[in-house]
This record gives sequence, C-alpha cells and structure tokens, in this order.
Amino acid sequence: MKALFRINLILSLLIALPLVVQAQDPRLQLNSLDHLTAKANQTVDVNVDERLMKMASKLFNEKDVDEAQVKKLVAGLKGIYVRSFEFETEGQYSAADLQTIRTQLSGPGWTRMVNVTSKKEGNLEVYLLFNGDVVGGLAVLHSDPKEITVVNIVGPVDLDKLASLEGQFGVPELGIEKTKKNDEK
Amino acid sequence: MKDDYLWDKTGQPDLEIQELEEILGKLRYQPRPLDLPVSRQRSYFPLLAIAASVLLALLAAGVWLRVRNQSAPQPQQAEVIPAPSPVEEKKPEQITSKVVPQEVVAVNHRHRHRPVPAALSKQEREEALLAKQQLMMALRLTTEKLSLVHRKTQNTTPANQIKNQHRVG
Repeated sequence: MKALFRINLILSLLIALPLVVQAQDPRLQLNSLDHLTAKANQTVDVNVDERLMKMASKLFNEKDVDEAQVKKLVAGLKGIYVRSFEFETEGQYSAADLQTIRTQLSGPGWTRMVNVTSKKEGNLEVYLLFNGDVVGGLAVLHSDPKEITVVNIVGPVDLDKLASLEGQFGVPELGIEKTKKNDEK
Repeated sequence: MKDDYLWDKTGQPDLEIQELEEILGKLRYQPRPLDLPVSRQRSYFPLLAIAASVLLALLAAGVWLRVRNQSAPQPQQAEVIPAPSPVEEKKPEQITSKVVPQEVVAVNHRHRHRPVPAALSKQEREEALLAKQQLMMALRLTTEKLSLVHRKTQNTTPANQIKNQHRVG
C-alpha cells in the first residue's frame, strides 16, 4: 500500500512537472503575433536560441573590450526573441494580440517592473522573471498605434552588463546607472 | 493403587488411563514435513497498470514538448519584410529610413572583416555570422526600448517641471 502511494506520488509529480515548467517558462510564445506580418509595413523577427547564441559568441573577439562585453552579456543567456511590427496605419492590431502576451507575463515568476504610458511613445512595459533572487528572463512590450514590439530575453539578464553596452555597436546611450537596479529594489 | 503407570508406564496399567491415552493419542505430535499454506497467485496487474500510466505520462510530456518546440518556428536570420505598397519605387527608401536608423551611426567597422575562428565549418560560420547579426539587432532593439523606458521614467527634469507648472498655472 505504501509502495502504491509512493508510485502514485511520483506519477502525479511527473504529470505536474510539465505544467510547472510551463508556468515559469521564461520564453514567451510569440507565434500568436505572426498573423500581423501580412499587415505590417515592416517586420523584425529575431530568434536566437542557445545554440545560435553559442555559435555567435565564438565570433566575438575577447581581446576587443567592446566585443568582450557583449560576449560576457550573452554568455549565460538561453535565447533572445524579438517580434516587431510597424504599420502604415493605425488599428492594424487588436487588444487581443497584446493580451496573449500579457497573459503569459502574468504567470508566476514574472513581475512588471515598469509600465510607461505616453501619448507620443505609446505603452511601454518591462517585465522581469525572478527565480528566487536571480533574474531568469526579461520581456519588453512596446505598443503604440502603429507599432507593436515584443522583446524576450531568456536567461539570467545582467542589467549592469546591458547598461555597459550603451553606445557600442549601434546600441544607443541608455543612461542606465549601475545603481538603478538597486534603487528599484 | 500404585501410580507408577501414570508416571513411567510401569506396573499395573490403569484402564481409565489407557482409555484416555487412546483418545488423546490421536492428537499426539507426529513428525511430518512442514506444510505451508499455498501462496496465492500474485497479481501483477496493478504494477503493470502503474508502469503503463507512467510510460503514457512520459510519452505525453515528450510529445507535448516536441509539439511545443515545433510550433515555435525559428528562422535563422532577421527578416525585414516590406508590405506591398502602391508606389513600389518609394519602398526601399522607406525601409532603410525606418528599419535601423542607428545602424549607420554606430556600426563598428573595425571588426567587419575579422577572421573567424577556424574551428567552425563554412556553413557553421555563415550561420554564426547570421546569428551574430540577429543578436546585435536584438540587443540594439532591446536597449533602444529600455532607453525609451529610461527616458520616460527619468523624465523629471526641472525644465519639465516648469513646463508643467506653466500648463497648470
């Protein structure tokens, strides 16, 4: 009887495990936005998984200070995924399109750190996925009447390292201070 | 009456005792091999059922993960897809001006033709170069958006305060 109970427990854990993994998955499912490609004036679709990340890392020159920084930043990452759509006219995407992303970001682990609403720039939301005290993922959701952009970084994102990229390789000046993260906490 | 028969079966046998001996003698210990009860046939059905359930659960999880991974297409390069436009001639200008305005500003030309490590094959090298381009585009876009957030959240300069005060007043 005891053995049967143990087996049942293991069985239940095995069944529940995928659900738990799904619940805290730092990777967002962005396929729901694919239908916007036909309507968009311009589409950016970036899918760099861990394998490609490692391959790309081999091309960074460690002797070069700038590239070494990028290499350090992406070293622990599991993937970067971007979907960005720019439209000629307003109203090309619906609130439901955004909701599919927000629903995923309302799952356990995700915390909305910043939510900026601006008439000119639209709505900007920054989410972080925490695994305990460690950041396990980052998501940026930007929507204005003519644009929708979702950035999803999977893995331990180091905001300090990200800030250190500013001004390099075409990366604009961020102005993120090293202490900003601590201030936010 | 002597009780020797009762103690050591010597002397005159007592009829009553003999009679009792006959009756109880049937219950006397008789050496014989141990006869254990036949164990009942063990049924393996519950164990098999559990094993089958576990297998099914594992299979289902595997299939689910596979389908989930397959449903997420992973193109190997960044795409900039122009939408069909009534005036075809203007399209390239629109794209170049809109796609990556920062690219022209800060592309690192120093490392454009850096030799790639020899460990990668030609195909891998091409793949890695594409991945690097994608990576840089993604980082550029990410930092651009974060920069925007930063500007918005830190937009409490004295100039704005005065502006707001002026509006209110």
